Amino acid sequence: MKTLFTFFSSLKLTVVLLSFSMVLIFFGTLDQVHYGIWHTQKLYFESFLVVWAYPQEAPAYEQLFWLRIPMPGGYLLGGMLFLNLLAAHLTRFQLSTKKIGIFLVHFGLVLLLVSELLTDLLAVESQMPVDEGGRSHYSQSYRDNELVLIDRSHPDYDQVHSIPATLLKPGERVDVAESTLSVRTLSYYPNAALGRATSGTPLETAANRGVAVKMGIVVTPQAETYAEDDINTATAYVEVFNGEDSLGIWLVSNVIDERFPPQIVQSGDQSWEIALRFTRQYYPFEIELIDFSHDKYPGTEIPFNYSSEVMVHHMEDSTKSQKALIYMNHPLRYEGHTFYQASFANQDKTSILQVVRNPGWLLPYISVLLMGLGMCVQFGMHFFKFLGKRS
Amino acid sequence: MNSSLARFLLLAASTLFLLSLPTACERAEPISYKIPKEDRLVDMPGAVAQAPQTPADPAANKMQVLPGMEEAAAQAGELSYTTPEGWEALEASGIRKANLKVSDAHGSAELTVLAFPGDVGGRLANINRWRAQIGLEASKPEDLPAYTEPYSISGHGGLYIRLEGLEQSILGGLLPFHGFTWFFKLQGNRETVLANEAQMKIFLDSVRLEDDHH
Repeated sequence: MKTLFTFFSSLKLTVVLLSFSMVLIFFGTLDQVHYGIWHTQKLYFESFLVVWAYPQEAPAYEQLFWLRIPMPGGYLLGGMLFLNLLAAHLTRFQLSTKKIGIFLVHFGLVLLLVSELLTDLLAVESQMPVDEGGRSHYSQSYRDNELVLIDRSHPDYDQVHSIPATLLKPGERVDVAESTLSVRTLSYYPNAALGRATSGTPLETAANRGVAVKMGIVVTPQAETYAEDDINTATAYVEVFNGEDSLGIWLVSNVIDERFPPQIVQSGDQSWEIALRFTRQYYPFEIELIDFSHDKYPGTEIPFNYSSEVMVHHMEDSTKSQKALIYMNHPLRYEGHTFYQASFANQDKTSILQVVRNPGWLLPYISVLLMGLGMCVQFGMHFFKFLGKRS
Repeated sequence: MNSSLARFLLLAASTLFLLSLPTACERAEPISYKIPKEDRLVDMPGAVAQAPQTPADPAANKMQVLPGMEEAAAQAGELSYTTPEGWEALEASGIRKANLKVSDAHGSAELTVLAFPGDVGGRLANINRWRAQIGLEASKPEDLPAYTEPYSISGHGGLYIRLEGLEQSILGGLLPFHGFTWFFKLQGNRETVLANEAQMKIFLDSVRLEDDHH
């Protein structure tokens, strides 16, 4: 037990872990060329183990194509560093006023590691496009998809039954929450190209209902893209059941959206709209875009300001409604969500807000404050001791 | 001994806490919730005809014009060419330098000419992009000679590419030229494209790029 403890509290381990971290960041940066930042982050930093493969474009690929370098991922390194720091504290440091500064710095560091992990696990990012003069009460993911069955029969509300696309696995059947329906996935493509079947060629489709049959849409699976400004056209063939009765097979895709007539699943006199769409998050408030400004330096095309003037209307509690101006480094924090100015479209008539829900957003601030305070205390103590000696 | 046991327990507890975090986060599960009544934007089937995602020609669907693309393409200079017999010249617009069309009994095919700065990801990446557009698997560098050959375009060393898909085919020319890469692509119905191979070569031979470097 003692040797285990000596191992975890050793400073050598810290140096080895920090060296591995540098190696990880180096190879992660190299691979960012292929996968973009989001996927690289998942692959290298939000994982326990990662294997780097020799890239195709690099020189002498023909000779070195077999080269693979396994290395510890971010979670493993972060976790080990966390334990290392904790173990070192338990063995070496006594809580005395003399060491209070060092203690604060290390505690801040531990908090920073924990907050990073919390952000990785709990933060949710999505986008909310709003037109000038328009309102929106939901945001949507730009990576995750959901299969929805929407019951619009009630006069006061719509009932949305949602199944995350990660559960759409070929051959598997998933029960739809709070209904008698279930969905079996025939095939699921993370990315695909959809087109009309050319005249003369027979339409090859698994679907027997909906838009795929009516418009003759064929699916060509594509490789998943990781580029920052590209989206994946998630597409699936799904069979819907009511109890044990099959109601039909539909082609659903996140490009078959509001521009198309709704695809309807009918069972007796009940009906649901079926769609695969970017996962939506609904809010109990609406954001109205009053004005979007895109200011440029006079006489140039160089922007110096993007800003959205918004009015937040709370649907249940009107006292919570407020006005806000969202611009660079000045997000709106409202009801646990942060709204950043992310982009714009539609000849400056639509503003796109990035919505982030991160329950641990305050932790990094606290940890940096603690570390700063710790350093001030530590150096301050030395400084005053030094002054005291001189006089 | 007692204190080392306490230390070990503390260490074990924090490890457990750390390992339990990933499972504590939100699990993907089917859910059901109510939302305020929504107005559908489109309920009329007629509007589908304008739906931009499924144009009649799937080739037109592939290129997403990003900000700055048009400006970049404009810097590549102009080209001149002769329209082969039986081909129809369409208006070149946006980032397209030229746009031609050919139809026959089997169907139709469209020729587009594009130019972008740099190598646009490299020869293999671009050829694999084309392969994907007609449903072919990505190719390895050693397979390139099977369907490409060196080809002179506008007096410079380019590449001629021949891709046969199940429904669609592509005949293409690729030319790195003064910091830009030019793409000449005839894509469409498999038979139409293959029947027009001689015409495609006539077209490529007729291409003259604006050259201010000599």
